[in-house]
Amino acid sequence: MGTDGKSVRGRMSRRAFLGTTTGFAGLALTSGASFAAAKEAPELAAMVAKGDLPPLAERIGENPMVVTPADRIGSYGGMWRRGLRGSSDHNGILRCVGNNGLTRWDMDFTKVEPNVAAGWDVSDDARTFVFHLRKGMKWSDGQPFTADDVVFSIEDCVKNPELYSSVPSILTSGGKPATVTKIDDETVQFQFEEPYALFLEQLATPLGQHPTLFCKHYASQFLPKYNDKLDDMVKAEGLSSWADLFRAKNGDIEIPSRWANPEKPVLDPWVVEEPYVGGATRVIVKRNPYFWQIDTEGNQLPYLDGINFGISQDVESLMLDVISGKIDLQERHINSLANKPTLAANTEKGDYHLMELVPSSANVCSIYLNMCHKDPKMRAIFEQKDFRVAMSLAMDREEIIDLIYLGQSEPYQTGPRPSHPWYFEKLSRQFTERDLDKANALLDGIGLDKKDGSGMRLRPDGEKLFFSVDVIPTLYPDLVDVLELVKSHWAEIGVDIKVNSIERALYYSRGDANDHDAQVWPGPGGLDPMFDPRDYFAAHTQGSRYAVPWAQWYVSNGTQGEEPPESQKQRMKLYDQAKATVDLEERGRLMHQLFELTADAFETVGVCLGVNTFGVCRNNFLNTPKREPDSWTYPNPAPALPQQFFFES
Amino acid sequence: MLRFIFKRVLWMIPALFAVSFLAFVLIQLPPGDFVTNYVATLAASNEIIDQNAADALRERFGLGEPMLLQYGKWIWGILVHGDFGTSFEWQQPVGDLVWERMALTLTLTLSTLVATWAIALPIGIFSAVRKYTIGDYIVTSISFFGLAIPSFLLALVLMYIAVVIFGQDVSGLFSDEYQNAPWTWAKVADLIHHLWIPVIILAVSGTASLIRVMRANLLDELNKPYVTTARAKGLSEFRLLMKYPVRIALNPFISTIAWLLPNLVSGSIVVAVVLNLPTAAPLLLQSLLAQDMYLAGAFVLLICTLTLIGSLVSDILLAIADPRIRLE
Repeated sequence: MGTDGKSVRGRMSRRAFLGTTTGFAGLALTSGASFAAAKEAPELAAMVAKGDLPPLAERIGENPMVVTPADRIGSYGGMWRRGLRGSSDHNGILRCVGNNGLTRWDMDFTKVEPNVAAGWDVSDDARTFVFHLRKGMKWSDGQPFTADDVVFSIEDCVKNPELYSSVPSILTSGGKPATVTKIDDETVQFQFEEPYALFLEQLATPLGQHPTLFCKHYASQFLPKYNDKLDDMVKAEGLSSWADLFRAKNGDIEIPSRWANPEKPVLDPWVVEEPYVGGATRVIVKRNPYFWQIDTEGNQLPYLDGINFGISQDVESLMLDVISGKIDLQERHINSLANKPTLAANTEKGDYHLMELVPSSANVCSIYLNMCHKDPKMRAIFEQKDFRVAMSLAMDREEIIDLIYLGQSEPYQTGPRPSHPWYFEKLSRQFTERDLDKANALLDGIGLDKKDGSGMRLRPDGEKLFFSVDVIPTLYPDLVDVLELVKSHWAEIGVDIKVNSIERALYYSRGDANDHDAQVWPGPGGLDPMFDPRDYFAAHTQGSRYAVPWAQWYVSNGTQGEEPPESQKQRMKLYDQAKATVDLEERGRLMHQLFELTADAFETVGVCLGVNTFGVCRNNFLNTPKREPDSWTYPNPAPALPQQFFFES
Repeated sequence: MLRFIFKRVLWMIPALFAVSFLAFVLIQLPPGDFVTNYVATLAASNEIIDQNAADALRERFGLGEPMLLQYGKWIWGILVHGDFGTSFEWQQPVGDLVWERMALTLTLTLSTLVATWAIALPIGIFSAVRKYTIGDYIVTSISFFGLAIPSFLLALVLMYIAVVIFGQDVSGLFSDEYQNAPWTWAKVADLIHHLWIPVIILAVSGTASLIRVMRANLLDELNKPYVTTARAKGLSEFRLLMKYPVRIALNPFISTIAWLLPNLVSGSIVVAVVLNLPTAAPLLLQSLLAQDMYLAGAFVLLICTLTLIGSLVSDILLAIADPRIRLE
């Protein structure tokens, strides 16, 4: 799947950029003829004929985005039936309808491609980003979308302290928010304090959509700066402040009210018709007649008339809908491993097939032994690499994979997944073989050679070697089973643990206060190593649970927490460099050095590779992905471009 | 009688305060707050909310304030402005959310009630009068089955059978095309078409227990001397039965009205969730799970008010139905 223009890859020098703009011009020329013959959905054509709607060429503008369909050119019509949960499931709509940022991910989740922005220009120091918008592009109400809207969204809305008490971190660098200026109607510039090469990728994630979220001609009526009669409107709606009214009408990236106001102009392929509100039993979105994308034959997208999201109070009832063929494409809420056999057995009855979803996590279960333990005696043990290696060697990963993950995984430590270009064999596979003799020898070698009557090892101070591993059963029930097996494996080398099933809030407060012996969590960073490097170095104060004080040191620039060892400091520096590097190859080289250090330090103990999950797709639903990444930063299925999904007639 | 009613109404006020405060405390009691839950719900789908945004939410909803202050603000809003607050999750006034679902909830509960009584009373009377006959045994076994099967399980089984064998959709109260359509006769017909399944499921367990209660009560009465006297005087068997023993046996039914009103809101939560009914119960459950304070609080307050009113109504009705009862 591709779009107009060359993919704008990595660091772009002035010359390279000129090259691509010529590319755009060339494409516009060749496809210029097809625009004249551009086609649209029959009901839109009827409205144009009646004079209710401007002709297609005016609606899509001069430089619409051209989408190459995944399988073939589609046909118009049909509603996509999907399911939502009754509560807090607004992101289920976002992932299908509303991920239209300036950039978007390619299907492989490795680089960004043009989206709302047709191209961009990045300064060599990665501080200045100039985006080239599409000429003649329209909001869903027919008003032009220009640089003014982007400037308004950031400068007037996001940087308004009454709306956002602090600017979202994606729009800040070096602690300061970006400055957005209009160069001309189709050109807008973002200026950052510190180098911020990841900005382009961040814009493709759901949390990076602010620049295209608020429509100036509509949203400005809810800002005091533009409307002196705002107080009356607030009173009329019975709300307490103008900020409440603004949010109720315009929503935000991920709050339900984003999908509650059918009047709000959007850039999405479909517009809300029946909103997502408290009492709703379904949500319906319908075709945006001004959608700014066409297929390679000039047909305006989307092909589908709309999406019908049924709301289920009990997500289990979605399973019945799938089996009876009442869901066209769904992965959310049904893709637990336990559901797979039932869904696989009923593919014929429901006339659907299973899609493969690749999780972004590297590991199903990272075991974080607290290397900064408050008890110096425990710390002295967890700090030793030999101890961690022994614990890894003692695990019977094959048994865990067979019993808990139905054979659907492979032994793994951490690191980018095998399909990722940055995959690093040593980091991912070291110490994953089972070797009890070696494990015993390693433990004997670090002064844990004394045992009590029952064969369990004693610490050098004579106490029994024992620690508890925290896990949240309500969130990750499978990890409890994994730990029970690990407990039996470790008992074989004389190490006793307690599987400590605790409530979510307690898990967090123990970790935040550094009161834990060890905790487990699915290890992220498999497909998105730049976004979530918590297992590669102490990056995340709530995630790098093997050394929370080191992460605090890193995040606070050395003012809090505890100074980490040299290897960590080098990695922190490498990551900061990589983050500021636009060129993907150079960034990869830096990260490779980082992974090398991570592999040597061997801080986290992994179990097995994050298990692929699945989605279901009806057999007559085409241009749909067969295999796709599954992540929040890659908000599937949006990057597969649902606007080009269609029903075979 | 009026004095009695007045006294009871007066007592409701402190009771409501106590209950609303208790409800507020209980909803806040679990660790975390709405924002923690919100973040965790998103995390379950591997979704992340910007940390700044989460802090801003907490500040905006006033979740960091002391509980007494939060309670005071809430109660003040209700007393002074009739404002039940804004739902955290939906950013909509709580009052609208609650009332939106009440009409359908009322329809469902009342239909269930009528169905339950229409089935249970005649059968209960029959099995008491024809004690230890084949008919009584059959009815008794059926009602024991009805008592023993959890209604949500019955709902699940019926749904599965309907979908897998008949290919029919049984969840919800409307077909897709009528969901948001304006009210027409066709929509009413569609509602009736869908309504019978939840009504039967909900009626089954209610019917079973009522049959047992009716049978036991009536059996107590049937052997009393006044029945024998009436029969000796030559009263027709039907008239005799209806005039006194049944009327007295109805007492427990009337007392249950106290439970009935709150059940309008909170009854049959599990069945409503399983069958995906757009009634108030799933919304109540959802608000409690999400710690959506004001929405949950409003529901609890509503339920308590209805319980208090219900028990008042049942007391009055009892006094009317049974002259032996004194108002003290």
